Amino acid sequence: MAFFRTAAGRGIVVLFLGLVLAALLEAEGLRKQAQIQPQGFQRHLALDVTRPLVRFSHALHLTTPRHELQVAIGRRNEDQIDTQVHLSLPPPAGPIPQGGARHRGTPAPHHRGTPASVKPRFTATKPLKIWVAGDSLAQVPGEGLERVSAADLDVLPIESRLSTGLARPDLYNWYTRFTQVIAALHPKVAVLSFGADDAHDYMAGAPAGTTVGPLGSASWSAEYRRRVDGVTRELDAAGMYVVWLGLPIPDGPGFKKSFPIVNRILESVARAHKQGATYVDTWHLLDDSHGNYTPYLRVRGTLTLMRLPDGVHYTSSAGDLIAHQVLAQLHAKYRF
Amino acid sequence: VLFPTVTFAVFFMIVLTVSWALMTRQRTWRAWILVASYVFYAWWDWRFVFLLAASTVVNHVLAVAMYRADGARIRKLLLGLAVAFDLGLLAYFKYSGFFVSSTDNVFGTSWIVNITLPVGISFYTFMAISYVVDTYRRELVPASFARFAVFQAFFPHLVAGPIVRASELLPQLETPRDPRKVNTSRAFVLILSGLFLKVVIANHLSTHIVDDVFAAPNKHSSLEVLVAVYGYAVQIFADFCGYTNIAIGVALLLGFEFPQNFNSPYAAVSLQDFWRRWHMTLSRWLRDYLYIPLGGNRKGTLLTYRNLMLTMLLGGLWHGAAWTFVVWGGIHGTGLAIERALGWRPATAAAQWFGRILTFHVVCFAWIFFRADSFSRAGQVLERLVTAWGQSSPLVTTSVVLAILVGIAGQYIRPSAVGNVVAGFQRLPVVAQGACIAVVLVAINTLGPEGVAPFIYFRF
Repeated sequence: MAFFRTAAGRGIVVLFLGLVLAALLEAEGLRKQAQIQPQGFQRHLALDVTRPLVRFSHALHLTTPRHELQVAIGRRNEDQIDTQVHLSLPPPAGPIPQGGARHRGTPAPHHRGTPASVKPRFTATKPLKIWVAGDSLAQVPGEGLERVSAADLDVLPIESRLSTGLARPDLYNWYTRFTQVIAALHPKVAVLSFGADDAHDYMAGAPAGTTVGPLGSASWSAEYRRRVDGVTRELDAAGMYVVWLGLPIPDGPGFKKSFPIVNRILESVARAHKQGATYVDTWHLLDDSHGNYTPYLRVRGTLTLMRLPDGVHYTSSAGDLIAHQVLAQLHAKYRF
Repeated sequence: VLFPTVTFAVFFMIVLTVSWALMTRQRTWRAWILVASYVFYAWWDWRFVFLLAASTVVNHVLAVAMYRADGARIRKLLLGLAVAFDLGLLAYFKYSGFFVSSTDNVFGTSWIVNITLPVGISFYTFMAISYVVDTYRRELVPASFARFAVFQAFFPHLVAGPIVRASELLPQLETPRDPRKVNTSRAFVLILSGLFLKVVIANHLSTHIVDDVFAAPNKHSSLEVLVAVYGYAVQIFADFCGYTNIAIGVALLLGFEFPQNFNSPYAAVSLQDFWRRWHMTLSRWLRDYLYIPLGGNRKGTLLTYRNLMLTMLLGGLWHGAAWTFVVWGGIHGTGLAIERALGWRPATAAAQWFGRILTFHVVCFAWIFFRADSFSRAGQVLERLVTAWGQSSPLVTTSVVLAILVGIAGQYIRPSAVGNVVAGFQRLPVVAQGACIAVVLVAINTLGPEGVAPFIYFRF
């Protein structure tokens, strides 16, 4: 006990008090932090701890100051947990079409599709509005598009949100965001990069009565396909052309198994919506001549670093390469 | 483990409490703090724990052998082995990709390497080099293996410094820390100020202007580019100073004093002054283990300039394996050389203000190369600075300007004002201190953007 009368002892008490009080003031934020963690022991523990914390904090109105501050800075809904998958269009009758298999290097048939005479034309005065969105992998290709595009393309501010996806609307609800973007920004093209943070066993917001199995199971794939297909149809119905960016070949064994599961779904949905969507195969765009991961590729004769040290994210050179692929596919659809 | 996370708060609360409980039993304390430090490091990537352990074992064995050896030649040989081992680690893990791709682009060798950079390797390797060199110079008696292991792996400084010298930390590891002599108020002020700098200032500038502009400078107006350059100057200061403030505060709560790492660098009146205020522990490392061994200013004017330039070029390369960092070092080296040639030492108030403004802008100019991922991008930034005035600038918002102003104004806060804050906090009762911490933590977390971006210096 004498220790707690020393400076260090008092410091421990102060720190403990400070953290406990901060936890109470921030209870709702902590509950959200707990909720959005990957499935497992740590998430269960965090949820068990934060549940009573939120109740107690609510009872004492301790969440009010943070709330007020959030309102003052225009971020009022930040602590809300929304697990709804908002897809307003009803699913098509029968099973969701899966599209055919495509071999590496073969361009999707609709790339050659639309004859030039009927392609909508965009100019510097009436530019093609492009919205780039998704998880952290969306950022660099989006920046690449900004760099390589001319005045006849208008790349809207990139919306890249770390660790988000279509599987976890509780973490960030992209479905709500799609509705807002359709209503407010009116882009003509949506370049979407999702899946890197979806390739896990847990999926929030599954329809009532549906059980979603582990990643790669039939139920997981069916639910994920339902979401990708639903987003494609919603955006297509709003007059937007969807460019799904596939996941790149990763370094290390972990993601090598999970990324192709997502890629197969993205590609098959794009092929099922030939007029409204397309798929950019970044996996094969960034692998080496043997189909293996490589951090470098030769670009115009120069060995160029394409991947960050984590073996997943892109360098800006890779972003430019992907952006050129996106533009090539857009040229098949539009004149600009 | 990132400092501004709930996980770290829980981790630190446990480590701090157990650390003080074990403090009088030094052997057990050392084992505890070593395990805690290795867990902290393994949280990032467990594989590199073995690299850290290997670095500790090799440097310790060679330092002890060097200390016991009598002959000058054998001691020199052992020093050479230790330094070669340390630089070899850095060369392999940090620079092999850079050297191989640079070689390929000249000779077309088509070699490709794929090596993950272990976090903090530049920092703990420099600490190990200072340990063996000080031992060689007979300025240091090698510590026991356990003490050296704690010195090198001590988690507050492990991943991004400050680069603490053996002579500063090892004596503190000799005896139990006195719980009555811990300045907890200063520690809390440092930690909270560090969190504010990182989470509110640095993250806001990064996500609201800097990243967008440096990714595609051609799409932004001159005003946006100019504000982004100032913004990056503030961001990198807030990010790195924020980290070291937290590190120093955390160490202080554990009973250990770390050296100061920043002292209002943007208030510097010259580049020489800047380097006495910016990343001070790296500056003195480069001075003592590179500039002075090269001859410093003792071997004539020409060699002094050569040594100055070499030191800054290598200092640039230390930050990152890219030619843009070398150019960043070159700009600073050239500036330092010019100052030396002119004998620039502003004495009057007007000259000092002129010096401050000029130095800040030279530093900002150099940051363009530091931040840009290629020369062409740096060129675009520079070109855009002059060619797109009058265009709309939606990224230049009130919050961005405010964050920059706060970052710059913070440089002019007097140390006595900080001392008053610490003293005021000290006078508060325990419960009020806890409440203050809670309120500030919640405000920081609410004001900061969502998600925690890694500290910039983690990658160096």
